[in-house]
Amino acid sequence: MLLFLLRRIGLMLVTALCLTFVVFALTNMPAKLETLAKTQAGSRMSDAEVTSWLERNGYAEPMLVRYGEWLGVMPGWVRVDADGSVTGRCVALRGTDDAAGERCGLLQGDWGFSTRFRAEVSDVIAARLGATGLLMMWVLIVMVPMALIVGVLAGMREGSRTDRTLSTFAIASTATPEYVSGVLFIALLASSTVGISPILAEWGWIDGRVLFQGNARSAIEDITLSNFTLPVLTIALYGMGYVARITRASMTEVMTQQYIRTARLKGVAFSKIVLRHALRNALIAPFTVIMLQIPWLLNGVVISEVLFSYPGFGWTLYEAAVNNDIELLLAASVVAVVVVLVTQLISDIGYVYLNPRIRIS
Amino acid sequence: MKDLHAKREAVRHPVAEMYARECAAGKLDRREFLTRATALGVAVPAAYGLLGLAAPEAHAQEPQMGGTLRMQMAIKAQRDPRTWDWSELANACRGWLEYLVDYQRDGSLQPVLLESWEASDDATTYTLHVRPGVTWNNGDPFTASDVAHNIERWCDASVEGNSMASRMGSLMENDAMREGAVEVVDDLTVRLNLSSPDIALIVSMADYPAAVVHPSFTGDDPVANPIGTGPYLPVSYDPGIGAVVERNPDHTWWNEGNGAYLDRIEFIDLGTDPASWIAAAEAGEIDLNYQAQGDIIDIFDAIGYPRSEAVTAATIAVRFNQDNAPYDNKDVRLALQKAVNNAIVLELGYNDLGIVAENHHVCPIHPEYAELPPIEADAAAAMARLEEAGHATTEFELISIDEPWQAETCDAVAAQMRDAGINITRTILPGATFWNDWTKYPFSATEWNMRPLGVQVLNLAYRTGGAWNETAFSNEEFDSLLDEANGIADADARREVMARIETIMQEEGVLIQPYWRSIFRNAAENVHGAEMHPTFVVDYVKYWKS
Repeated sequence: MLLFLLRRIGLMLVTALCLTFVVFALTNMPAKLETLAKTQAGSRMSDAEVTSWLERNGYAEPMLVRYGEWLGVMPGWVRVDADGSVTGRCVALRGTDDAAGERCGLLQGDWGFSTRFRAEVSDVIAARLGATGLLMMWVLIVMVPMALIVGVLAGMREGSRTDRTLSTFAIASTATPEYVSGVLFIALLASSTVGISPILAEWGWIDGRVLFQGNARSAIEDITLSNFTLPVLTIALYGMGYVARITRASMTEVMTQQYIRTARLKGVAFSKIVLRHALRNALIAPFTVIMLQIPWLLNGVVISEVLFSYPGFGWTLYEAAVNNDIELLLAASVVAVVVVLVTQLISDIGYVYLNPRIRIS
Repeated sequence: MKDLHAKREAVRHPVAEMYARECAAGKLDRREFLTRATALGVAVPAAYGLLGLAAPEAHAQEPQMGGTLRMQMAIKAQRDPRTWDWSELANACRGWLEYLVDYQRDGSLQPVLLESWEASDDATTYTLHVRPGVTWNNGDPFTASDVAHNIERWCDASVEGNSMASRMGSLMENDAMREGAVEVVDDLTVRLNLSSPDIALIVSMADYPAAVVHPSFTGDDPVANPIGTGPYLPVSYDPGIGAVVERNPDHTWWNEGNGAYLDRIEFIDLGTDPASWIAAAEAGEIDLNYQAQGDIIDIFDAIGYPRSEAVTAATIAVRFNQDNAPYDNKDVRLALQKAVNNAIVLELGYNDLGIVAENHHVCPIHPEYAELPPIEADAAAAMARLEEAGHATTEFELISIDEPWQAETCDAVAAQMRDAGINITRTILPGATFWNDWTKYPFSATEWNMRPLGVQVLNLAYRTGGAWNETAFSNEEFDSLLDEANGIADADARREVMARIETIMQEEGVLIQPYWRSIFRNAAENVHGAEMHPTFVVDYVKYWKS
């Protein structure tokens, strides 16, 4: 078990290293650095001004050296101007001239500085992950029970009318990407001119102009049913269909097992068979899928957070990519690697507990 | 406001009086007259007085105090004001950083931190009178030396991206302020000695990077240490998310009673997708948007946010870069130009929300605009000319940014060229990459905001080596004529030079400039004073809610 954990953590480190290097290389291409200089110091700068800006801000060194600085294995760049003022990576991060020449990278716990948000990367990531955590929590609260109920109901009598109806629903929901369902929801539920809101408003059933808000910015301060329903529903529906399909497949398989048939022949009530005998075995497969669904949801989070302007992790990733915010993008990749591998780890370990036939050696 | 200017009303300026006669004779419209007269130092009521009119009373209703205004606007990372490249950066700070003068919606200049100014008859000496009784919000008095300090900052061309330096040329020498260019005469008077006549100098001081900062200001964050003269203070500022500004209770503002009506202004950055602005408006999360374009204007109208319009000299320049073949060939440029009917571009690309332009980047609302014979599109002649130049089968590529109205405008340009039989492809780049090389694309479209005077954009964009010269246009005759025009305070005399300048622009086929844009903003009905401004100014100090 310990060896297994160590191997997994080792794998995580290697993956993170490779991924961050790729991201670093891509964001440090000369054209990208020019974008950065122009977004930082004026979009209408001349080439000479760009070169001098890059030089003054430590972007002129070789790429590998700067990657080393970011990791914390190389000392940060230092620059002493003619008037004696000292600038440098560590000077800016630590806020003191004494730090010049020290190492200040990931290994020392310095995540760097976000050029887009003008703040420490660690602060940005922490705040945004918190926001996404809330969103994900509500997504899981909506998605998991819904998916399991739909899957179990559909799978307990394969081929029945209930099965066909629920399966159609599940397939439709998982076949509709967030950028389609999100827009549909906004048009149907969050517009005062089309959809059902004008009708409801006319009948006097809703106080405001719209049933739900098509914009979740205010959820940062205060989550309400009105501003959070649509983003949660958009993400949850997409994952729901998939998990429901897996649950259904697993349920139908269990329902054909010998011991279930025996129980039925003994005259045990159908509801009891499903709840007591079939359910636990049927939940093994969905459990893995739900865990693997979490990193997959991070994908959906990018689209729906941007669509609903909810400043969470996905939105931050988008902003960082669009503005070539190098250190923020790197930190986001590290977070993504950790999320993927940790959820995998949990699913592997959870599997052992759910299925006594499996051991981790 | 009237009492503040009473002292200056006696002042008469010979050129301004001439303008007034022109206006009376119908040679000038009122907006042109106001721009020109106030640029020469005639106060607004006095300028109206020259016309025999009373200055319009701006407020039919008495403004109400209090309330919170929420506005959709991009919030970008702050930097040194003189290097601002987006009006939004300036707008967020307008509550505490004020300007020497303001450019008004009607085309006039309003003195702010200056009480008045006078120009010598040849526009080489300006006398600035600093408004008495103004204090910084840290208690320091605002004096002539603060004005001199700011002008010196603007003149420092060694600062990367300092666009004010390109406007202060007549006060500069060797990338810095010229010795003796700015004299502090007494606490409230500054004299500017120009090396060459510059009629745009005062108007330039109303431009958004000309925010007046405290002498202690260094670095690049006017939000972190918000010392200013205005009535508000920043509460928070998060790029990409939003900013909050509140009235400063510990500061006596010089213009108490004539603004600062709102308690709190919240700017909300909702990204670049107008659909989310609409969603936010539907949800009642915003009271007004920053700027609406295309169909979005109508949608906002429909959900109860009526539009306000500003006619501007803002435009789109579908320009050739003469450093790139085949656009170094004048015949190719002229042929491509000839294939395009600008009126059709305006209709298809911008829903007719503007007026047709004439490929020379001087707008009829500019005081020195000279009318030239109309240009005519002729597809057959265009193709014939292209064949003559040996480029009949050359594949041209027109690049634009992904913003809908700009992409659609370029589509309309390219479609007409295709109709003429020219082989042209279109490329659309996302905003983040487009601006990397905007001055170097062989053939692309650039959005240009307006400048109050016609010579201003020409100085920036078409002079040899100009700061934002994206056409690589370099023409000796043009440059020297422009120098000449820059020194002629008399607009009629300047117009004669301008006619020649405009003709050179057309003859050289510098760009396809299809139309002048009107710009729009939608605001809820209870928001007042927030009409769209031709230069995108969001002077929230003057906004109020009922």
